[in-house]
Amino acid sequence: MNRSDPIFHIIALIILVLVFFLIWNFTNLIPDAKGGNTADRAVQDTLSIIYGHLYKMIPICCVVILLSLAVAFFLEEWLPHKSLQYRIIERIIAILASIPSLIYGLLGIYLLVVPADKVSYYQLTIIVSLLVMPYTIQSTQKAIQGVDISVREAVYALGANRWKVITGHVFPHAFPMISGGILTAISRVLATAALIIVVCDWKIPESNSTSSFGFSSSVVVLLLSALSLSVLSSLVAKNVNHINLNGIV
Amino acid sequence: MENKIEISDLKVFYGDVQALNGISLNVYPNEILGIIGPAQSGKTTLLKVINRTLEFNQDISVEGTVKLDGEDINSISDVYGLRRRIGMVLPLPVGLPLSIYDNVAFAPRTAGLRNKAEIDEIVERCLQQAALWDEVKDRLDSLGTKLSGGQQQRLTIARALSHQPEVLCLDEFSIAVDPITTMRIEDVLKTLKNDMTILLVTNLVQQAKRLANRTAFMLNGDLIEIDETDVIFSDNPTQQSTYDYVNGNFG
Repeated sequence: MNRSDPIFHIIALIILVLVFFLIWNFTNLIPDAKGGNTADRAVQDTLSIIYGHLYKMIPICCVVILLSLAVAFFLEEWLPHKSLQYRIIERIIAILASIPSLIYGLLGIYLLVVPADKVSYYQLTIIVSLLVMPYTIQSTQKAIQGVDISVREAVYALGANRWKVITGHVFPHAFPMISGGILTAISRVLATAALIIVVCDWKIPESNSTSSFGFSSSVVVLLLSALSLSVLSSLVAKNVNHINLNGIV
Repeated sequence: MENKIEISDLKVFYGDVQALNGISLNVYPNEILGIIGPAQSGKTTLLKVINRTLEFNQDISVEGTVKLDGEDINSISDVYGLRRRIGMVLPLPVGLPLSIYDNVAFAPRTAGLRNKAEIDEIVERCLQQAALWDEVKDRLDSLGTKLSGGQQQRLTIARALSHQPEVLCLDEFSIAVDPITTMRIEDVLKTLKNDMTILLVTNLVQQAKRLANRTAFMLNGDLIEIDETDVIFSDNPTQQSTYDYVNGNFG
């Protein structure tokens, strides 16, 4: 590790703490329509909201994944690795990616349970972004770094511009690893959603459930989906070296 | 005679490691300049500086000047155009995930050529120059991966010729090619030098002796000697280390 690296780590940490406090204060300003934070009522509402809004996560996930890919390619292909911006952003992403999804789950409970009937795209986006973006960016960065530099050199030597090299050659070469990272990130989202449901299930009796689909079934479906995606992701990663990218010489 | 390439006091650093220690040399138009030397002598680095592909490596710093036709390559804003003027063949074939035809047509299309008849003509000419046409003319639509290692390398050579470069840099082009095919490509290179300047990096000193008009000997990032090939391979080169290297006493 470079001697100056801890400085960037500290800067990244300070930025993250500041951002966290800003988000914390902002969410506290969201008015509670019920006029209070009555826990049981809130939990009850939250569960129905989670069931009712899971579908919202799909477009959010898509946007967040595309944004993550854009950030990763920007970092790796445009930003000089020795630059201050690269070092700080890389540290921020590394810190966020290393936080266990359990912590994000707790943050999700805070954001969803407290303002129970005010779950907005904004709040869902924060949780999904925190869960998906750091991991996806990091895995995409590794995938891009894994592309042999001779591929870039060979295509650039033919006069191709940066956009053509990235879209036509770097992305196809890195795609198997990128898709593995995306699948793992989505499985983290599903597992965390299951965690939130389990925590809420402890707080209210099943008879009070407003959902026609039971808690246990939801948790099992989410966990099984997460597990399936993890298995798929590991299979993709395992087969990276065996995938013939439509004819790499 | 005006120099095609002028290199002055060229220093290259990979982080803290210096790969080139202030090299100065001139390359004449329409000559084959052989560059020989053991591993880690900076031969490949020198080629990558000339077509500016070295800058993709992180932690690189370059000092000194390299001029192409009198123009500093670092002051050329159209770096993609510069690279089209300088063809590059790497030691191991790096193919594009395309058919044989599209591999060769890639550079002309990138340069904006759309006329199919012209592209057909370029593909055929370049594959013939690379001694590959007879073997692939009936399966131009098949993937590059279907070719053998030697054929893939010749495909890479055809691709490098497709944009009609003014300078062709060959970095150990024959490492994956059999001797018979190597001889055929060498014959092509002797013809090509009428149209372009060729920089030939090779570990096969006899190949430099066969092909090069002049030969440069590099060692540990230094240019030890550059002279007519006959002089370098004679019993009386200027430097003893040159004599020792070409006679196999080391390296």
